[in-house]
This record gives sequence, C-alpha cells and structure tokens, in this order.
Amino acid sequence: MLAQQQTPEEKYVKDAFMSYYKNRSFSVPEVHQREFGFGGWERKIEFRHIKIGTNQELSAKLAVEAPFYISYSVSYYQFPDARPMPKKAWLGADLVFDLDAKTHECGKFTCERCLQEVKREALRLIEDFLVADFGLSKKEMVVNFSGSRGYHVHVISNEVKRLDREARREIADYVAGVGVSFERLFWKEGKKLFGPNFSSGGYGEKFAKAFCSKLNEDAFALFFSRKLKLNEEKERLIGYIQKGEWGGVGVVGFERKLEEKFKQMLPELSVNIDANVTADITKLIRMPESLHGGSGLAAKKVSQLDSFDPLKDAVVFRGGEAKIRMSETVPAFQLDDQTFGPFEAGETALLPQSAAIFLLCKKAAVLA
Amino acid sequence: MNQEWQKAMLEYINKTMHFQGMADLLFCSHYPFSAQAKEYVTQKGLQLSTEIIEKAEKRVADAIVLGKIRKVAQLPEAQEEELAIYAASRMIVSACANRYIMNRYCIAEAKRAGEYLASDSSAHPEYIGQVASEFGIKFESTKEGVLVPVVDYLVFSPRSYDYKLSNRRLKAGKVLISSHEKIRILEEAIRKRMESSLPVKAQFPQEVAEAARRIVKLMPKIEISATKVDQKNYPPCIKKLLEDLALNINVPHTGRVALAIYLSSIGMKPEQIIDIFRSAPDFSEKVTRYQVEYISSKKYAMPSCSTMDGYGLCVAECGCGNPLRYKDEIHGARLRRLEKRD
Ligand code: SF4
Ligand SMILES: [Zn+2]
Repeated sequence: MLAQQQTPEEKYVKDAFMSYYKNRSFSVPEVHQREFGFGGWERKIEFRHIKIGTNQELSAKLAVEAPFYISYSVSYYQFPDARPMPKKAWLGADLVFDLDAKTHECGKFTCERCLQEVKREALRLIEDFLVADFGLSKKEMVVNFSGSRGYHVHVISNEVKRLDREARREIADYVAGVGVSFERLFWKEGKKLFGPNFSSGGYGEKFAKAFCSKLNEDAFALFFSRKLKLNEEKERLIGYIQKGEWGGVGVVGFERKLEEKFKQMLPELSVNIDANVTADITKLIRMPESLHGGSGLAAKKVSQLDSFDPLKDAVVFRGGEAKIRMSETVPAFQLDDQTFGPFEAGETALLPQSAAIFLLCKKAAVLA
Repeated sequence: MNQEWQKAMLEYINKTMHFQGMADLLFCSHYPFSAQAKEYVTQKGLQLSTEIIEKAEKRVADAIVLGKIRKVAQLPEAQEEELAIYAASRMIVSACANRYIMNRYCIAEAKRAGEYLASDSSAHPEYIGQVASEFGIKFESTKEGVLVPVVDYLVFSPRSYDYKLSNRRLKAGKVLISSHEKIRILEEAIRKRMESSLPVKAQFPQEVAEAARRIVKLMPKIEISATKVDQKNYPPCIKKLLEDLALNINVPHTGRVALAIYLSSIGMKPEQIIDIFRSAPDFSEKVTRYQVEYISSKKYAMPSCSTMDGYGLCVAECGCGNPLRYKDEIHGARLRRLEKRD
C-alpha cells in the first residue's frame, strides 16, 4: 500500500492525536478476544480483523500510530483476526446500545440542544429500560460519549454475553418499541375493556402511567370526554386504571380514542436507538476513551451522565491556538464554554486548538 | 455385538455426567435426556438387543413420518426399556448423518417430553422443577402466573410472534408467562439440548447402521419448486435461505419471514411458498399456511439490506440497498469481480 500524501491539516491533527495517545494507557476488557478496526483521515474503518494481545500492546500501538478512529468488536472471539467471520469462533458479546441525536438543522455541527436531547434518551434507556425492565445493574454498564452526536451503552456481563442475534434483536425491538401492539396489551371481557395497570411491567405499565399523568393536560382529557375536565372524574378513571379496568368510566368510543393516543404516545415511551447496532454481533464500536477523527473530541467514559457536558468534558486539546480558513459556512458552535462563529466561507479566524481541530476534523476548514 | 454396543453407549454417556443419589425410574423414562437418566443407564449398564433396536427404529420412524413419538406404558420394565430404546434411537439418528432427520427427531422428542411435562404438572409437579434445573432455569410462581428470568426467556422461548418481548410483561429482569408457556419454553430448551448433543460420535453396530439406512429412505421426497423458478435474479441472501431449506437446515424464524416476504413480493403464490417450506424439519402445514397467507395478505415491506444484516441474514455486500432491488447484471457482476480480486 502506498502512503498517500498527507495534507497539512491531516498532519496537524495527527500530531495532536499523537500527543494524546503518547503515554496514555488503555484498558479494554478481554482485549485479546476482540477484533480491532482502525480508520484514517478519509475512512472510519480502513483496517479490521486485527488482533491485539494485551492492553500494553494496545497502548503502545496507539502511541506510535495514533489512528483517527479506533473501534473494537462488541464480540469476543477465539481467533479475532481470522477471516471470514465464522472462522473467528464466536465466544459471546457485550450488549451494546447506540444512541444518536436525531437529524436537525445543525447537521454535522451538532448543537447543544441535540446533545441534551440524546442525553435524556440515554438516561431513559438506562433507568427505565435497562435497570427497571431488564433488571441490570449499573455496575455492569459502561457508558461513553460517542465522540460525535450521541452515546454508547455497553452492558458487560456473563448473563448477556451468550445471547444470540435473535435474542439481541428482541431486546432492541423492545427498547425501540417495535412490535408493541394495542391488541396485545388490552383485551375485552364481554363489553368491558381491560388493560395494564401501574405494576404490569413492560409497555403496558409505561403507557398506563403516561396516560394518567397526561390526563392533567386539559386538551388530552377533553379528547376523551368533556366530563374528564372534572377532577373527580379524572380521579375516578385513574382509580379504575389502577385496577386495570380501563372501561370503568363510561366514555363513548373510549377504546378507539385510546388506541389512537396509544399509537401517538408510543414513540415517547420507547427509546430511539440504532437497533442494528444492538442486534449485529459483527459490529465494531468506538473504543471508549479513544479520539473521534470527525470531531477531535474524546469518546469519554461517563460516570455521572446527568451532569456530563460533552462540549466541555470531551474536549482534550487545550494547547494554544491555530489560524484556520473556513471552507464552508459554519454556524455558531459551542466548545469549552465559549461560543465561536458563525463564520462565512473563506473567513479566517484564530481559534483555540480544540475549536480549530473540531473544524478541521469536520473538513469545514483548512489551515491558514 | 452387545459388548460393542455397550462400549459405544458408555462412551457418550460419560461425556456429560454429574449426578448423585437415587434415580427415579419414572422420571428418567419421561425425560431420558436428563442427567439423572444418563446416570441410571450408566449404573445399570443397560443391554442392547435386537428387540431394542427394532423398537428404537420404530421410535425414530414415528418421529420422521408422523412428527411425534408415542408414549409408553408405566410398567417398571417398560420404563427401563424405554431408556435403552432412547439411547439406541440416538445412535440410529446419528448413523443417518442427515440434518433433516436429526432435527425432526429432536423436535419429536421435545414434543414427547412436553406432553409428559403437561401431565406431570398435576401428577408429579416436582418433576417440572427437576427438568427446569437441568437447564438452570429458575421459574418462580406468583399468583399472577410464572416469572422467568428475561435472559432464559430470550434464549429458550419459541421464536414466534406470541412470544415477542415487546408485548410481554417485563419487570426487574423477569417476564411473566403462563404455565402453558412455561412448558413450551422447557420443550424448546429440550430441543436445543438434544440438537446440540447429536450426533453421537461412536462406532455403531451393524444392526444400528442397517436401521439407519431404512430410516433415510423414509425421508419425504421434496421438490424444491423454487429451484424450478428462474433464480438468476435472486440475491445471495435469498439463495442462501433457499439452499438451507433444501438442505434441511433449520432456518431461523426471521429468515423464514424474510424469505416469505421476498417470494410473495416477486409474485409467488402462497401455495408455492408453502411448498418451499415443506422441507423444514419442523414443518407444520397448518402453521406455515397461516403465516404465509398472513404475510401475503399484509403486503409486508421487504426488509432492507441493513436490516437483513442485523438479523444475520445478509451474506454478501451487493450494494443494492434492498434484496428486491438486486439485479444479477449489476450487483451479481460486481460481486463476481470482487471475488476474483480477493
Ligand atoms: S446486500 Fe442485500 S441483497 Fe445482498 S446479500 Fe446482503 S441483504 Fe441480500
Ligand atoms: Zn441540533
């Protein structure tokens, strides 16, 4: 393979990455059973099927090569470097969830609002699903910023390790609310409608609780019946729902209206994950604590998610300034408690190293 | 011949043993795959005879032809004999060296055990717990039903829409199921155990080999009608699914659904599609008809390549985005070029 000519931008970022990886030690659980993949300036994964024997070896390799992207398999293999896949001899896999900010006008310059939103989703995934429903302990979870627009949650435990693809797909579908059906959660006895209550578990419980708290919104209550404007009537309905007797308060067309709201509310009850990442045991995922070549931010491990601020806590380059010229229009963005931009295409600016690298990595600027 | 047989038998029994205490012969005869039953067989050093092999051949034949194994009388001698017949059946099945026969036999054995689980639920309720502990599954009874740990549920529940986790009552790591579902889950666990413990690797006596030859002849002759259809434009993933079915390899539920959607999207009639599934070891006309007709009537969208990949069904990188968009002249040609380059 011929080494391509490095651009000055690539070289500048590479040097910075070198300084990050120098003298840093990494500790990947069961490193010798993982398949590694490395990416360059142009592509997130250029090489894969790589085996690394020990964490020392890994740290040394990174110090020398400082790749722009580092990812490893969620799976454990007996022969991580064997090809094709079946020859690797699968031993199990972590259970992984990938959350990304939804597409928004901020595009590749992910804004704070988007990052806030995806953080809330991650918190819901952990609290309402992994802990409350699946009974997992937070001790078995590693949460990290993806380095770009979202979060990864790795569940590392012997219990989940043995789950096959189909079982993982079931988990992914559950979390994403795929296949949740009104007819399965509600049923009729005679003419009376029965359904879940506050302790049913699963989506039934989630819906029952959300429904009752939404009754406080007048528009929501009125959608069902005018009489639900009255507090006593609301209380009466909630009392019935606690017993699972949804048909308790006679409301005309209640079932049809309920089904309509159920479908509307389902996206709020589930979590927007990339289900394929959870189900696909051949996937490589960003190594926690490595740098993301598309932002220059670190895929930081997070211990306190609610107080984590990626635009500050994942910033690693704080060495001086750099002068860059924008190659496209750049919206205002935040980094390290400072706001930069907006910039016009062609405009030059002297920016702190982190902000300069951020734009160089996004290919939105060149060195000036 | 007896010696030869005993040696073979001991060889495989010794592989998976950890049991102390008195064997309960009734339990063993109902659940001959259990550690307790294996222990009993080892201790007693059960003998193989021409008669046992004949009965075993009948058991396997029933499994292949009828899809079920008959239950036996409750006399102690019959129970003990049942264990020997079971062991001999496994040898015959192994000697067939045919995946269809192996899978279909395991399904029938699991069904048989399931019937016993159902009747033992009232007659010998302690048996159910003993079978569950064979698989390390901890069921808990509550007044609302039975609780099962979600991982066990995911590993052992039948892959059908009725068991879709999204609609289940999941809380604190446990799924609420009915007592009927509990038995279905155990049945599935038994099937998986049986499948992974076959084939038995040993030298088989002449009579076993002869029985096996007769069993192989019982296999249904299936014409894969899909092979008659022009397959040129089938994408690799669909070809693979068809091949697996033709080779009697058990195709997972998701694969079957994807295949049915694909075939119905290209205009194949439900009747033809059902015929294709006929070679599956667990083929049931009723269930398949229902599912295929349902899929055809619903006009389901074909899953995209990335979804197929997530299910482990994608076998090549065609670059077509969706299997339905696959064109041999374009994607197939590209794949063949890539192959050459490798
Ligand atoms: S790329 Fe698409 S069409 Fe090709 S094998 Fe994979 S799923 Fe099938
Ligand atoms: Zn945004």
